[in-house]
Amino acid sequence: MKCVLVILLFFLTCLSHCKIDIEEVDEFDEFEESPITVRTDSDLIFNEKLPPVMDKIEPEVTVEDDDEFEHFNDEEEFEGFDTERLHVDDKDPKITIASVPVPFHTKWSSYIMEIFLVMGIVAYFANFFYGRSKNARLADIWFKTHKSLLEDNFSLVGDDGKIEVESSGIIKETESSYTLWCSGRTCCEGMLVELKFIKRQDLATVFNQFLRPIKDEVHIKVDMNKEDMDTFVFCVASKKTATRYSKEMADLSVFCPERKPGANYGLTDSFSVLSELGEVSSSILDAKTVNYINKYSDVLDCLHFSDRYSGFKSNDDTTVATKLPTVKKVLIFTFTIPTDKYSNPQEAISAIYPLMSFVFQCMERIKRLRISKEAKSKAEKNRLRVEEAFLKTTHAARAEAAAARKEEKKRLEKERILKEDPEKQRKWEEKEMKRQQRKKAPRMKQLKVKSM
Amino acid sequence: MYSNHSSDPRRPEREHRYKPKGNNDSQSIMPGEDLTSDYMNILGMILSMSGLLMKFKWAAWSALFCSCISFANSRAIDDNKQIFSSFMLSISAVVMSYLQNPHPMSTPWSTTFG
Repeated sequence: MKCVLVILLFFLTCLSHCKIDIEEVDEFDEFEESPITVRTDSDLIFNEKLPPVMDKIEPEVTVEDDDEFEHFNDEEEFEGFDTERLHVDDKDPKITIASVPVPFHTKWSSYIMEIFLVMGIVAYFANFFYGRSKNARLADIWFKTHKSLLEDNFSLVGDDGKIEVESSGIIKETESSYTLWCSGRTCCEGMLVELKFIKRQDLATVFNQFLRPIKDEVHIKVDMNKEDMDTFVFCVASKKTATRYSKEMADLSVFCPERKPGANYGLTDSFSVLSELGEVSSSILDAKTVNYINKYSDVLDCLHFSDRYSGFKSNDDTTVATKLPTVKKVLIFTFTIPTDKYSNPQEAISAIYPLMSFVFQCMERIKRLRISKEAKSKAEKNRLRVEEAFLKTTHAARAEAAAARKEEKKRLEKERILKEDPEKQRKWEEKEMKRQQRKKAPRMKQLKVKSM
Repeated sequence: MYSNHSSDPRRPEREHRYKPKGNNDSQSIMPGEDLTSDYMNILGMILSMSGLLMKFKWAAWSALFCSCISFANSRAIDDNKQIFSSFMLSISAVVMSYLQNPHPMSTPWSTTFG
């Protein structure tokens, strides 16, 4: 009985083993037939990191029967594997964008430099409007103060130079410079008043004022009639201005090379005198004038009387002047407005008001002034000397220009011939060679003579 | 209108019209003329181009200040278009430099670079 039971048990166990083997074989057959390669566990783990790849494969997978992937859901098949992940893979892949931290600080405190710069621009424009209005007020006060005096002396006060006069008052050239033209008076063609104020509208100049202080100035230029002024160049100026003018002014640098101290003529030490003729200096700087200049020495910067005035020297070295600059007979007065001494602009302008009368007095005096024959001949000689020197320089410049033109012409001819047929080119070269030989020939002869 | 008295210096028949400086040739430079506006305009343009091409923020800001100085020193007869274009160029230099690199400028006293 026992033997029968043992045999039966053996038979049953053998049978069960056989069933399992058959099943396993069947599964592998199906995979061999299927076009889809079955991924191993390790593949699944790798592909988890690449959801787009999964996306591509998924539609193909869904075509197949779901049953063949049942073993993926069998927990016994994937012991020790994270089952939750597999469930996630079955669903549609969910793309989540991670929040990336901002790479820089957006705090306002980071932009401290920018804030300072913007504040600087705001301050610049605030100062611009303030400075502009202050300069305009100063110009307006000056014009109102001097208007009656100017109208008593000139028939035309204020002209803008246009065909139809649009503005008859003072004209704004820049935010810190104003001009006024007056004409219709004896001894002069016209008088140009230039008010050159500190550039209060420019913050950079305002700061520069602390380092190099400058003052508000009034420049008065009187264009004298040709018959109402004799031939001389004369200048009284503060030392600083005299030094600058003697270098930069075309007429002063040529006709008045010597700078004399003002003390020689009874002026204060702050003045220097530049004069072409000694006779003129002594007759202009009489006791009355000297006293007047000394009295207003703090506001009077320069008196420049010249019959050969052509302005500042040209610094442009590239162009050589071929003709003499146009000269005019002018009286130039430069006064400073003491805005630093008087807080009220009206008081500062009133302080220089008497100097306008001084301008008219000077005009009358220069009209009456006639130099002696000796002085006149000396002045004429000086002018002739300057003119000759200028012609010499222009002659040299003209010769240079002619040589350059000749060279250029030759070059152009050569280029033209080179472009044409080679026969002409050869002829031209021969001709040129002969010409060169002819040039050299006399020298050779001389050498021969020497050798003999 | 005018008295015929000999002491009256006025002579209406001798009136001369005003000829503005550089009327014949507006492009010519008179010696002694203030050229701050022109210099600042050119400097502003150079700095604007540096700001635009080389992404120098300090150059773009400097160009803006140069335009301001050029504007403040400009003459009444100057072409406003030129000043306007100078401003536009410098502002565009600032805007472009911050669009491409919104980092703040490093302060001169800091050691890090922005």
